[in-house]
Formats: sequence, C-alpha cells, structure tokens
Amino acid sequence: MVPIISNFATSTPDQGGLFAALGIDWKMLILQIVAFLLLVWLMGKFVYPWLMKSVDERQAGIEAAIKAANEAKATALHTEAQVEKLLAKARLDASDIVATAKLESAAALTASEEKARKRSDQIIADAQAEINKEVIAAKSALHNETIDLIALATEKVVGKTISAKLDNELITDTLKAIK
Amino acid sequence: MAIRLSRRKIASYIASRLLSVKDDTAVLQELAGYLIDSKRTNELELIVRDIEYELQNRGVVLARVTSATDLTKATEEAVAKLVQDHSGASKVYLQQFIDTDLIGGLRVDLPGHRLDATVARRLATLRANYKK
Repeated sequence: MVPIISNFATSTPDQGGLFAALGIDWKMLILQIVAFLLLVWLMGKFVYPWLMKSVDERQAGIEAAIKAANEAKATALHTEAQVEKLLAKARLDASDIVATAKLESAAALTASEEKARKRSDQIIADAQAEINKEVIAAKSALHNETIDLIALATEKVVGKTISAKLDNELITDTLKAIK
Repeated sequence: MAIRLSRRKIASYIASRLLSVKDDTAVLQELAGYLIDSKRTNELELIVRDIEYELQNRGVVLARVTSATDLTKATEEAVAKLVQDHSGASKVYLQQFIDTDLIGGLRVDLPGHRLDATVARRLATLRANYKK
C-alpha cells in the first residue's frame, strides 16, 4: 500500500494540463479527497454520534445541575426568609413570654408577700390572743390565790383570837339576825 | 326469829313509845334488841334519823348544835327558842358538840334542815363565790 501511494505521489506532472501547471497532483488530490471523505464518514458514523451524545449528556447534566443549583438557591433564599420570619416571630414570642413571665412573677411575688403578711398578722393575732388568755388565767389564778390567802389568814387569825365570850356574842348576833 | 318490819313502822313505834313513857332507856334497849335479833344493826343510823323525823312530826325536835366553844346558858336558850320558832315544835332537845374546825359561830342540824352560821362556812363561801 505504502509503495503504491508513494509511487502515485511521485509521478511526473507532465502528463496533466492545468493541475500540472498549478503544481497539483490530481491523483494525490483524489486520494486525499477519498481519504478525507472516508475519515468524515468514519467520524460521522462512529465518533461524532458518541461524542455528541456525550456532549448532550454533559450539557443536560450541567443544565440540570444549574437548575438544581438555582432551585437550591431559591429554596435557600426562601428558607432564609422563613428562618428570618421564624426568628422574628420567635423573638416576639420570647419577648411576650418574658413579659408574661415578669408579670406573673410579679403577681406571684405580690401574692406571696400578701400571704406572708396575712400569715404573720395571724401569727401575731394568735400570739396576742394566747398572751391575753394567759394574762387572764394568771390574773384569775392570782385572784384565787389571794382569796385563798385571805381565807387562810382570816382562819388563822380568827382561830387564834376568838374567845368563848366573843364566840357567844357572835352566835347571839347571828341568832338575832336570823330572827 | 323476829318479824322484819319496815323502818317507818319501827320509827313510828319507837317515837310513840318515847313520848309515852318516862324511862326512855327501856325503849332504846328494846330497839337495840330488835335490831340485833333481826341482824339490822347496820341500819341504826337510818332508823335513828327516821325516829327523829317521827318525833318532829309529833312536835318534838332534836337539834344537834355544833360550835367551836361551849355555849352559855343564854345562848342555848336562844338557840332552843330559834329552833322552836322555826319548826313550830312544842319541845326542843339540844344536843351540843364541840368542833374547833368551825373556828366560830354555830351549826344547827335538824331533821331535814341545817343552819350553818359558822366562820368556817363563811370562809368556804368566800372561797367558792369569789373565786374565778
């Protein structure tokens, strides 16, 4: 094959007209055209479809990736907005909760203070009543002891000082009083 | 074995006997004998009290006078007169007792009644009435 091509290429140009004048070897040209067409056919038959398919797939993949990226970006933006919204709402809720908690704690504190005050007042009142009761009991006991002492002293004094004469006078006076 | 009589019948019988006879010792012996025979000596105090009631109903009163010191004759007479006026009895017998715990004054016990004008009683009243 190589010798044939080589011979074909090295043939003298004196046999052609125009091509020879232009320095073109028409055999070589035809051979090159055939080779080119064969190459084109081979490329179109086997390489180009595969290449195009690969390129198309690659393009589709890139487009899908771009679309997915755009969607992701949109989703991210939407999510970010939602997050911001949720954060704002959460801040508002937290603020409300804190305010409510403050109010409730203040109310609870006031209620507990009031309860403690009432309890202390009750304790003081009970203690006062108990003290008063004890004072009354002590006064009563003192009174009773005084009565006992008076009676005992009277008994002792009268028992020692009373004479038969005095006793008879007392009896006589008593009998007169009864009459 | 003696017939069991009621205390009221015994008291009525003994009272009528005491008022009708001059020697009351025989009557009392008769009573004692009956109580011993009927084994009722433990009822002696109740029977004596019933006899006193019977005597009081018949105009004879036995008054127990208790004082811290001896009573003079005049005081005794005054007490007897008081008892006579109070009970309407025709005859009053005084039985005197001494109790120094009474301190002063006198206490007269009649069947169903008591007159307590002792100093001890007044002190007890003071304790009872003025104590809180």
